[in-house]
Parts: sequence; structure tokens; C-alpha cells
Amino acid sequence: MSPYLDSLERVFSVFWKLSRKARRTKFFFLFSQLPVAVALIIRLNSLFSGRTPATGLYLFTNIIMFFYLQMIILVLALFYGTSVCSEEVEGKTLPYLTTRPLPKSAIVLGKYGAYTAIAAAMTSFGLILSFLILNFDSLSGRAVLALPRYLGVLVFGLVSYGALFTFFGSALKRSVFFGLLFSFGWENVIQYFPGSTQRLAIAHYLKSFLPSPPAGRFAFLTFRLEPTPPGLSLLVLGLVTTACLTLAGLVFSKKEYILED
Amino acid sequence: MTPVIAARNLAKWYGNVLGLSDVTLEIEPGVTGLLGPNGAGKSTFLKLLTGQIKPSIGEVTILGRPVRGDASLYSRIGFCPEQDAFYEEMTGREFVTSLLRLHRFSAGEARTRAERALGTVDLRGDGDRLIKAYSRGMRQRLKFAQAIAHDPEIIILDEPLNGLDPLGKRKLIRLVREFRGEGRTIIVSSHVLPEIEALTRTIVLIHQGKIFARGDIHEIRDLIDSHPHLVSIRCPEPRSLAARFLADGHVLKVDFGADGRSLLVETNDRDEFFGRLGRLIVSDAVKVEEITSPDDNLQAVFDYLVGK
Repeated sequence: MSPYLDSLERVFSVFWKLSRKARRTKFFFLFSQLPVAVALIIRLNSLFSGRTPATGLYLFTNIIMFFYLQMIILVLALFYGTSVCSEEVEGKTLPYLTTRPLPKSAIVLGKYGAYTAIAAAMTSFGLILSFLILNFDSLSGRAVLALPRYLGVLVFGLVSYGALFTFFGSALKRSVFFGLLFSFGWENVIQYFPGSTQRLAIAHYLKSFLPSPPAGRFAFLTFRLEPTPPGLSLLVLGLVTTACLTLAGLVFSKKEYILED
Repeated sequence: MTPVIAARNLAKWYGNVLGLSDVTLEIEPGVTGLLGPNGAGKSTFLKLLTGQIKPSIGEVTILGRPVRGDASLYSRIGFCPEQDAFYEEMTGREFVTSLLRLHRFSAGEARTRAERALGTVDLRGDGDRLIKAYSRGMRQRLKFAQAIAHDPEIIILDEPLNGLDPLGKRKLIRLVREFRGEGRTIIVSSHVLPEIEALTRTIVLIHQGKIFARGDIHEIRDLIDSHPHLVSIRCPEPRSLAARFLADGHVLKVDFGADGRSLLVETNDRDEFFGRLGRLIVSDAVKVEEITSPDDNLQAVFDYLVGK
């Protein structure tokens, strides 16, 4: 293994273990299971009301994925991503990392990897659980084959948003504030613009992987989505991630962080 | 011969605030004490030495290599930061082991070294407790453990004795002396003169971002000892005690506190004064409730020296 990859793996391993134990992980785990509660409510409601609900797959695509894409992965990526650098500065633990024989960019990438992995594990668990709750009585081959696609969208979302917010955390002092503005301002507005403007939102490329819903009660959730082909979406998300992580690594290597007393 | 650490024309500005100015210094193996009042620039100097911040002007080399941009140097440097900061949700053992893993040690080697380092600072028994449950002294010892665990040739300690109890201080002082005996290079910063005095004879005085003096501590001590000292004594009969001091040549001034139970004595020979006071307490049964030295701090001494 090259020395750089070795450094990366070591940082990843340290922060993977640390984040599994962290109190905030327990909080975010509960938060990421909110859609499971929603799925349960839908299921129980249909059982007790006797009304035939829409198909499980339809509900899953239009309600559960909406929760994950519009809220949960944004919040997780924001808090984990910005904390990659800023928690070391605010917690004044930065000297423990920067006085080790490691390339500084490996510190950022290793921590980013660990935090993204923990966020992906938490959300995937909730996604699979809510998928099963909504589909357990109608598990068809088509439904099972759709699950990896949903998981993939979730992971792509965490990876690309996480990279962007890692860059925010390395470069900006009030990174959470700017991250919130981006997530719930820019992303939430731009993705609904018609034409090519919506392509300026990460959410657009994530939603492009999802099946287009038939017109119906929940069609407003993907209002005016003009999907980009999956291959191109993947390329754009990959480029955004690479660019943000490269910038984050560069900023962290060059910037002078002052630990305030 | 190349010095272990060399700083040339080092200056650091934080915006418009001067952190360090025109410092040129070479440090050889042994213990070097960096002494200065709070805010003098000690931590800035140590951060520059460890490459955490970059100099505005000048350069720092360690073992002949520029410290910034050469991460491999850190395997030869141990740094104990001043801040009381940790990954609080780790145990002490996990903390030291994790940081050793970042030094590229195998998992087994990291565990062995962590055990040794924790044993050195008497934390082996508490190694499995969460750091957030540690006392201030334990946290200070843990910081020291992570700085020495990888056996560095150069050990940089920023205010390492802060928060330690007397036993802990004594133990750490003994360890630093042992490291000196092994030929390592150790830099210790402190704002407390007796602490530095206990660690080394080679000191660098730093004040307002500048190296003010450098040399043997005894020369500095002589300067400091000629500094008039104020001693406050709280006792039931201050006037009677004052009368006994008035005949002493080393007593320059006597003043009385407003409460009528204290005495402020200015002396130009602190050792002689305390010797005399001790004799009065023992042989003449003079009652004393409290003795304090209002200006026995480095800032007062520095003000005196700079003024001089």
C-alpha cells in the first residue's frame, strides 16, 4: 500500500471507531430512522382503516425517498461534513493530528471517509427497514431490484453533499450557517426551476436516478424534474465530489487555523 | 555542526498583532526552558517550531530541514500542546493508541507503546476510563504520554506542569531529566520561574514577542533577586512585627493594611528576609496567619528587568 493510502486508512480507522462511540452518532441514528416511523404509520393506517393504499414501491419512492433526499442526507452530510475540519479547530484537538507524520490532505480525506461511511451505514439501515415495512407483502423481483438503486442514490447524496460541506468546513468560519443556506435555500429552490437551471442543484442529479412517478397525488414532489441521464448524473456528482475534496485538502494544507483561547 | 532546532529572523504577525519578532535562536540537545509571562509569545514560538503556523518572516529548521511541508519530521518530534483539549469520548488508552497508529505503528506495536507511555505517567490503571472523566492532572499527564509514546528525539512541551499536583510535577520533572540524560532535545515553556528552574539551567527569556535574554538561569536569577520584592504578611500584631523589621538593612519599606491585621514589606533580599521571618516565627513565637507575595510573578519581574 502506498504511504498516502496507508495514512488515509489509518485516519479513517481512528475516526470510524471514534464516531461509532460518539454521542452525536446516537442522535443522528435516531434522526435517520424518522422515515421508518413514517413507513410504520402509513402501514398501520392502511391496516386499520381498511383502505387500499398505493403500492409499497410507489409510496417508498415518493415519500420515503423524499424524506431522505430533501432532509436526512442533507442534515447528516452538513453536520458530519462541516465537522471534519471545524471540530478539530473548535475542539482545539488539531495539533494532535497536524503533528503526526501524515499528509494533511490525508487527514481530511480519511475523516471525510469515516464520517461518510458512518452516515451511509445509518441511513442505509433506515432505508432498508422502511422499504421492507412498505413492501413486505408485495416483494416482487422488480421491487427487490429497485432497492440497490435507492441505496445508491442515498450514498451518492451523502458522498457529494459531504464533500461539499467538508470543503465549507475547511474554508469557512461559519460553515454550518452557509451549509444550511445552501441546503435549505439554494438546493430547495433551484431544483424546481424549469429548464437547465435545475441542473445547478445536486438534488437534481440524485433525483435523476429515481424512476419518474406517474401523475398522481405525490407528483408535486418531483415537479418539473427534467432528468439528466444516469451516466451524466454520475459523472457530475463524481466531479463535484472530486473538486470539493481536492479543494478541502488544499485549503486544510495551506490554511493557518488559529485555536482561540 | 547543524543545530537540532534553528530559528532565523523569525517573526509572526496575527493581522496587526505582533506574535513574535525577529527571533534568531539555535537549540542543542538538552533541556531548554522558554520562560515568559502569559502572552509573551511562547506558544507562538512553539507553534512555529512544530509547523502549525507559518512564519510571516524567517524560517525554522529541525535537524536541518524546514519543518513546514515535511510531515516525515513529525515522527521525530513529540508535542504536548498547552490546550486542555482531547477527544473526550475516547478512553485514555484509545487516545494514545490511536495517535500512535497515526505514527504508522502496527496495531500490536501501538498497543505496547501506549501501555509503556501510560505506565510512565502512572495512568495505566485508569487507561480504560473515558477522558472526560479524568481530572485536570490526569489529562495533563495523558497529553505528556501522547508526546513521548513514539520515542521522539525532540520533545516540545507547552506549559506541561500546568494543573499538575506537586507529586505529578515532581514526577514529570524527573522524567524530563531522564530524557535529557538520554541525549534528547527538550523545549519546555512556562510562565513560572521555579518550574523552569527545576527543569534546566538553560533558559530563554521571551517578552512581548522578543527574545529578551538567553543563558544560564543563575545569571537571570541574580538579576531577578535584586528586584525589590513585596511580601504581604497577615498577623494579629502587625505593628509589633514591623518594629522588628525596621532595623534590618534589607527591608526598604513597611506599610500597613487597612484592615489592621496585615503588613506589606518591601525587601531587596528575599532570601535574607524570609530567613529572618522564619527565625522570628520559630524563636520569638511571632504569630503569622498568612504570607503572600503580591508581585512574585513573572510579569512583575519582566517589567522590572525591561525597565532596568
